[in-house]
Amino acid sequence: MSFRWFDVARLRVRSLLRRGRVEAELDRELRAHLEAQIEENIRFGMPAEQARFEALRTFGGVDRVKEEVRDVRGVSLIENVARDLRYTLRGLRHDPMLLVAAATSVALGVGGNIAVYSLAREILFTTPDARAAETLVRMQVSHGSHASYPRWLDLNASGALDAVAGYSIDKQVNWFQGDHAVSLTPMIVTANFFEVVGVPISLGRGFAEPEARAERDPRVVVVSHAFWQRELAGDSTVLGRRLVLNGEPYTIVGVLAPKVRSVVGFGIAPGVYLPVNRAIVPEIRAPNAAVVVLVGRLKAGQTLVEGRAAVDAVDRRLGRLQGDTLYAGVQEFEPVGGLTGKMGRAARTFFGLLGVVSVLVLLIACANVAGLLIARGTTRRREIAIRLALGGTRARLLQQLLVEGFWLALLGTMCGAALSVAFMRLVNGLTLPIPVPIELHLAPDRATFAAALGLVFVSMMLCALLPALAATHGGLTPALKREERSYVGRGLRLRSLLLIGQVTVSTVLLVTAFLFVRNLARSQSTNPGFEVEDALVAELGLDEARSMQEHIAFLERAVDRVRGLPGVKDVAYSRVLPLSTHSGSSNGRSVHIDGRPAEHMEYALGQVGPGYFGAMGIRLLQGREFGSSDVAAGPRVAIVNEQFARRYLRGANAVGRHLRFTDDTTDIEIVGMVANSKHNSLGEEQRAALYHPVRQYTGGLGVAFLVARVRTNPAALVTATRRAIGELDRSVAVDVKPMRSALAFALLPSQVGAVVLGTLGGLGLVLAMFGLYAIVAYSVSRRVGEIAIRSALGATHRQVVGLVLRDSSALVGVGVLLGLGIAAFVTRPLTTFLVAGLSATDPLSFAATAGAFALVSALASWLPAMRATRVSPALAMRLE
Amino acid sequence: MRPSDLIQGTLDVLILKAVATEPRHGWAIAKRIQAASGDVLQIKQGSLYPALHRLEQQGWIRAEWRTNETGREAKFYSLTRAGRAQLDEELSQWERLSAAIRLALRNA
Repeated sequence: MSFRWFDVARLRVRSLLRRGRVEAELDRELRAHLEAQIEENIRFGMPAEQARFEALRTFGGVDRVKEEVRDVRGVSLIENVARDLRYTLRGLRHDPMLLVAAATSVALGVGGNIAVYSLAREILFTTPDARAAETLVRMQVSHGSHASYPRWLDLNASGALDAVAGYSIDKQVNWFQGDHAVSLTPMIVTANFFEVVGVPISLGRGFAEPEARAERDPRVVVVSHAFWQRELAGDSTVLGRRLVLNGEPYTIVGVLAPKVRSVVGFGIAPGVYLPVNRAIVPEIRAPNAAVVVLVGRLKAGQTLVEGRAAVDAVDRRLGRLQGDTLYAGVQEFEPVGGLTGKMGRAARTFFGLLGVVSVLVLLIACANVAGLLIARGTTRRREIAIRLALGGTRARLLQQLLVEGFWLALLGTMCGAALSVAFMRLVNGLTLPIPVPIELHLAPDRATFAAALGLVFVSMMLCALLPALAATHGGLTPALKREERSYVGRGLRLRSLLLIGQVTVSTVLLVTAFLFVRNLARSQSTNPGFEVEDALVAELGLDEARSMQEHIAFLERAVDRVRGLPGVKDVAYSRVLPLSTHSGSSNGRSVHIDGRPAEHMEYALGQVGPGYFGAMGIRLLQGREFGSSDVAAGPRVAIVNEQFARRYLRGANAVGRHLRFTDDTTDIEIVGMVANSKHNSLGEEQRAALYHPVRQYTGGLGVAFLVARVRTNPAALVTATRRAIGELDRSVAVDVKPMRSALAFALLPSQVGAVVLGTLGGLGLVLAMFGLYAIVAYSVSRRVGEIAIRSALGATHRQVVGLVLRDSSALVGVGVLLGLGIAAFVTRPLTTFLVAGLSATDPLSFAATAGAFALVSALASWLPAMRATRVSPALAMRLE
Repeated sequence: MRPSDLIQGTLDVLILKAVATEPRHGWAIAKRIQAASGDVLQIKQGSLYPALHRLEQQGWIRAEWRTNETGREAKFYSLTRAGRAQLDEELSQWERLSAAIRLALRNA
């Protein structure tokens, strides 16, 4: 049998390679057949002419037979496609308007998709740069995202996995550069981190055990490639140089490879990697302090499930040894690069939404092109009918029309890809108002290319399939007889349906966009409970190893100096700043109130200095602020907010009440009550809050804030304030900003949402309106005769315009109504992203969408309507 | 009967059968099928060619250029070994089928 396969292959190849010869042979073969038949007919006594005619009749259509033979030979598909590519390109070149309109539409749709796709891939699906990243897992044990240092030691030594390392990006250190200091967010890692993870290094080495064991208080540092280039001028002799961090010299031992994606994910790219030591992490001995996020390396051949079970067993045993009865073992155990935790889930939801939206935009864009092609199909109806009559098969014609769509899709996708590359550049260069450095390395790569290629075919089908089916559908006769009305009518009906679909989809998009814009406006105008304007914030990076007395002395002198600046009304220091990345902690503890049985309380906790509430503009409702008498050695005091008093104290008077936590013997007296304010986010429900004096705080102080209430424009005081504080202690990192910009972080999610979805929604609206314009213009051009007759019979301009507008507004109206109905369901899951008090079915957003459509669609049909009024009856009727 | 009335695939057997005894060119095959069926099967001559080329692609017949009885060049088709096996297979299937139908019609 094998030789048969060979033969078949040989014939196929011959057909392909020597197409000319195969064609010629087929020609000769058929001619020989006809001649034989003619000869026979002549032998039977027919005259030559008739013999020829009869021979052709008995044979059937020669061209169709050839076509079928080509099909059999399997050549025709490729050959036809090649021919169609040439033919349709020539055709399209004569229709530059179609080309430009379609390419623009597809480019916008495809560009948006590629951009969202590459962004999602970079943020959500990128595996970190590590040796064999597929065997690296991120895990959560016990109750929190971070494990204690002893727990890390035990887990690593247990042998449950090949090895366990840890990292954290939650602290800031102070980098002293000779005359000033800046604050850095380092990646604080366990000594074995570089060995276990296998981060690529371009210069020097990663530090390792035993030199970097926390117990030896290592002073070594590895810097990122970007940090080396940006901050150290790419110095080739950088190894051995020292960085003064929190007042102590750290020796640079290595530089990471360029563009390393860290195990943290989300594009987070810390500039410096420090080993855990007692200076930066004073709490390393504490059995329950949250110190590091755990990253483990699976053993060879160990599956995720086996690894999880092994760690779980060890962790439970360790917990029991500590007498921890609440111990819950492994909470999460996932490959690195996966999206774990709350942040991951939110990001996933957001990108899911973004993905859906960008696909919808593509649909709208392709519907535009489909509309244009349907119009083109109706005008080319005669050409198509003639070709069908001459023996062209429908499949052949469909193929040609799809090939035409291919050109449009290809051109559009190429423009769209260019757009998205521009977008990637823009995003790569973006800096966000967050303390952790983010490096995104968006770049067109093989996956983007594959996605673009896929989009060419998807958009080809979306653009051309429906028009192609419509154009080749139905009998030939009306077309040949120029009975246009029947199929023009059908074409218009189909386009009208498409338009309704477009309007529906873009209504949904626009409602979403409006919701996010409203959300942003709401967040910006939401009263946080303190005065954001006319205030200045200085974020101070302190050396955490210093004692609290030293810190307080420094902070008090800083407060005095800033108070002395002209234009400053009031200044206070604090350990927390609401709505920043240091907004305090959320606590839940059992407490005795006034000696009553213990009850559970949940509250926001912050440590603030004397006069803080005055400087922040938070009203003091009862009692007093903290003063300089509330010292560490003095009686423990607290201030609560209104919500705390209402929920837990159940009495008019908060002042004078006493709290005692069940796991603590100290009595705390409430000395004041302040008005409610926001803590973590503007969208949060009002929380109960408890404040303590900074002086009575027992943890280390790495970051502190000065809040200054000013009389003038705060921006004008930034430099003076920075100098005033910097002169006091050059080792302190000082970052001064007007309070509004210091709180930019809180507005970031709403801003990103509003910008991204606003852009996509706007894009959808523009594309749909473009479609509306095209269809109204087309229907006007088709109704020239009718309009002419109406004008001749005395219709006024106003009536003609009304006629055109009535049709278009009916289409848009149906689409908008459908869209609003769908949106009411679709927007429901968006509630998570919206500030409190803004409903997902916000009537204003819905109304605004309907309004926007009414306005823009009136504009889109206005131009063609005006053209209709200029129709000269005499001229138009002569055309008929 | 018109070719569209022929049972699907029957044309293939008829062609194989027609070239089984000696190599023939397309026109001769058409004539042969017509004559052998007592002029009952009138096939549109053109429809023969896609079938011929398909059978050639399948390796059941092979083609070569020769001069015909009137001295003209024509493409002659002859049965390959695989084609002969295929013909035997199809013929026995056809026998079984027609016997079954005959039986069914007689007894029904």
